[in-house]
Amino acid sequence: MKNRKNNVIVRALIVLLIISAVAGSLISCGKKDGAGKSITFTVGFDAEFPPYGYKNENGEYVGFDLSLAEEVCRRNGWTLVKQPIDWDSKDMELTTGTISCIWNGFTMDGRENDYTWSSAYVDNSQVVVVKSDSGIKSLSDLSGKVVIVQTDSSALAAFTGEDAEESNIELCKSFSSLQQVGDYNAAFMNLEAGSADAICMDIGVAGYEIKARGNKFVMLDQHVSSEQYGIGFKLGNTELRDKVEVTLQEMLEDGTFDIIARDWELEESVCLGKEGSDAVMKAEKTAKNDSNFFAELGNVIVQLSSGIGASLAIFALTLIFSLPLGMLLMFARRSRIKILQIIAKIYISIMRGTPLMLQLLVVFFGPYYIFGISLSYSYRFYAVIIGFSLNYAAYFAEIFRSGVEAIPVGQYEASAVLGYSKPQTFCRIIFPQMMGIVLPPVTNEVITLVKDTSLAFALAYTEMFTLAKQIAAANASIMPLFTAGVFYYIFNAIVAWFMNYLEKKMHYYK
Amino acid sequence: MKLLDMKNVKKSFGSLEVLKDISMEVEEGEVVAIIGPSGSGKSTLLRCATLLETMDEGTLEYCGVKATTNDTGATQYVDKRTLHELKNNFGLVFQNFNLFPHYSVLKNVIDAPIHVQKRDKDEVIKEARELLAKVGLENKENSYPAQLSGGQQQRVAIARALAMNPKMLFFDEPTSALDPEITAGILKLLRELAEEKMTMIIVTHEIAFARNVADRVIFMDGGVIIEEGKPEDVIDNPGSERTKAFLQKMG
Repeated sequence: MKNRKNNVIVRALIVLLIISAVAGSLISCGKKDGAGKSITFTVGFDAEFPPYGYKNENGEYVGFDLSLAEEVCRRNGWTLVKQPIDWDSKDMELTTGTISCIWNGFTMDGRENDYTWSSAYVDNSQVVVVKSDSGIKSLSDLSGKVVIVQTDSSALAAFTGEDAEESNIELCKSFSSLQQVGDYNAAFMNLEAGSADAICMDIGVAGYEIKARGNKFVMLDQHVSSEQYGIGFKLGNTELRDKVEVTLQEMLEDGTFDIIARDWELEESVCLGKEGSDAVMKAEKTAKNDSNFFAELGNVIVQLSSGIGASLAIFALTLIFSLPLGMLLMFARRSRIKILQIIAKIYISIMRGTPLMLQLLVVFFGPYYIFGISLSYSYRFYAVIIGFSLNYAAYFAEIFRSGVEAIPVGQYEASAVLGYSKPQTFCRIIFPQMMGIVLPPVTNEVITLVKDTSLAFALAYTEMFTLAKQIAAANASIMPLFTAGVFYYIFNAIVAWFMNYLEKKMHYYK
Repeated sequence: MKLLDMKNVKKSFGSLEVLKDISMEVEEGEVVAIIGPSGSGKSTLLRCATLLETMDEGTLEYCGVKATTNDTGATQYVDKRTLHELKNNFGLVFQNFNLFPHYSVLKNVIDAPIHVQKRDKDEVIKEARELLAKVGLENKENSYPAQLSGGQQQRVAIARALAMNPKMLFFDEPTSALDPEITAGILKLLRELAEEKMTMIIVTHEIAFARNVADRVIFMDGGVIIEEGKPEDVIDNPGSERTKAFLQKMG
């Protein structure tokens, strides 16, 4: 018996080994393989960062950085893989080796010690973009305004980073608020809709976006900061960096680099080979100093706790509004008035048939794009609550309907003969029984809602998960995400316990 | 006084004619048993009489008060408020009891008198306890229906109907869901009610019970009343072949 048991374990281990070997070979990108084998070079980039890396009209990933990467790969005989990444997750992608480097208008300033850098190849500055008719002319006009930056962007670092200049910190304090959004498209939608007054972003991207959006926006003459772009490799991966660096220098010498720069109209910005462009590369440390795990964890929990309140607020308010709304919707759906019934059916079908994230965007941006109403900043939170409530009401309506329809017709007949009015029949006889029936599916929905609160990030509302992603990006660690997961789990365990308790209470008569 | 007066009742479900021109009167204190094979329209007649179904044609009166406004053509009912008040005249006991499972036995009995009839709570509770004692459930007032046997549930249902102080009680096959021993207990209770001169209209398959308790027996088949009269006439000396055939089958 013992032998057989051991055999099983050995076999299981072998299977595991094979799986991990296959998985390992699948994700080993850009690593040195045996001689003669083709090497893949995976470039991680934010696909919404023109002209450095973005999706063009034909659905292809193109850009200045990608053109450079293509040329580097061609010269080294590597296979280029263009891997669009979630900007918040770039460090995890790099650390785990799913990408070889971050090559995407990647600002070196403030991140000198976090990556192994190539030489700086683009000189880039942070500028402020406003609506043409906004009346904002200089940085001092931004006092009391809502300013947007991209999450974990160099613009954000310029205002709040450890190495931020005093003048920028002062400037940031004068804003009414500094908002973070996931991508520049969302930033411009916010700006256009009036829920923000200005965007602070890289000059190259700003120039491209302003042109692409028909000159409805202008760039302020004053720059917030100036900085340089480099190619970021995993800290310590000097071997790959050196190969890319050497190839880049060759390209500079034979003029290819400048040709590509001209193709993308960036000849004014490039700085490869100029004095000081290799300063960061030469000054690098070889290993990152390890921080204390528990200190980091404590820090993460403190930072996350501000987001927990937001998640709880979304959760509680959504329930408060969606449960009664679901009940009303259920009445409409069961109404004998045909038109009410049809409206309810269509409503439920749309709410259940389209992504909640899209619904949130429609609720938030709809008032501007449909009715031309300018949005105030506080609407962001209301939009989250409205979006969630409208969506969950549809699900609750169907759950309630199933509960009502599960009640035997005899209950209605007994009530009718005893002379109960229709409202009395519902309140005294049907509703209490229905609640007992629908509790398990309602529990399911409520637990889903706890996790769905993280979708509020679509509107850049800072709840726990958004915060966890931001902290994870800033710390280059997955620990904040894991911690957030633990929070969600505990939250849901409490919800499940409470619903179970409620269920027992409601089934007192069974 | 006539407590119930139905005339020329017609009712169809789609193309199926269930009641074909039926008239029925019930006097105060009378016990009427309606017998007949399944699908003969007995239950539909009872449901029309208790306003659970609407009649296609025909008239309906409770205690001399009209529930319908026209004598011929499609039935038109009086306004909802009057109809609601007319419901105070009768109670109905179902085959499947239809107790409210989330209410205790006592609450099942007192809820409608308190919230529908708006009567004084203490008085209703006192009366309900007397009724529960009468049906033999004095110790069960805090139990829930699911904790009771079928016979006990039917007793609660009878107490619930009586608590509304109706002038007449309808029973729709009150013992069909019960086994024979328990049936005997329920029939005994009905006999006691009959002795107290409670007006009752009972749809039943219990021929012996109908003969012993009913003042009048109505035999229905195919949506019409075939025969009607004293139990000794209808049951012991049926005039119609169909009645004879039915009674033979029932043993």
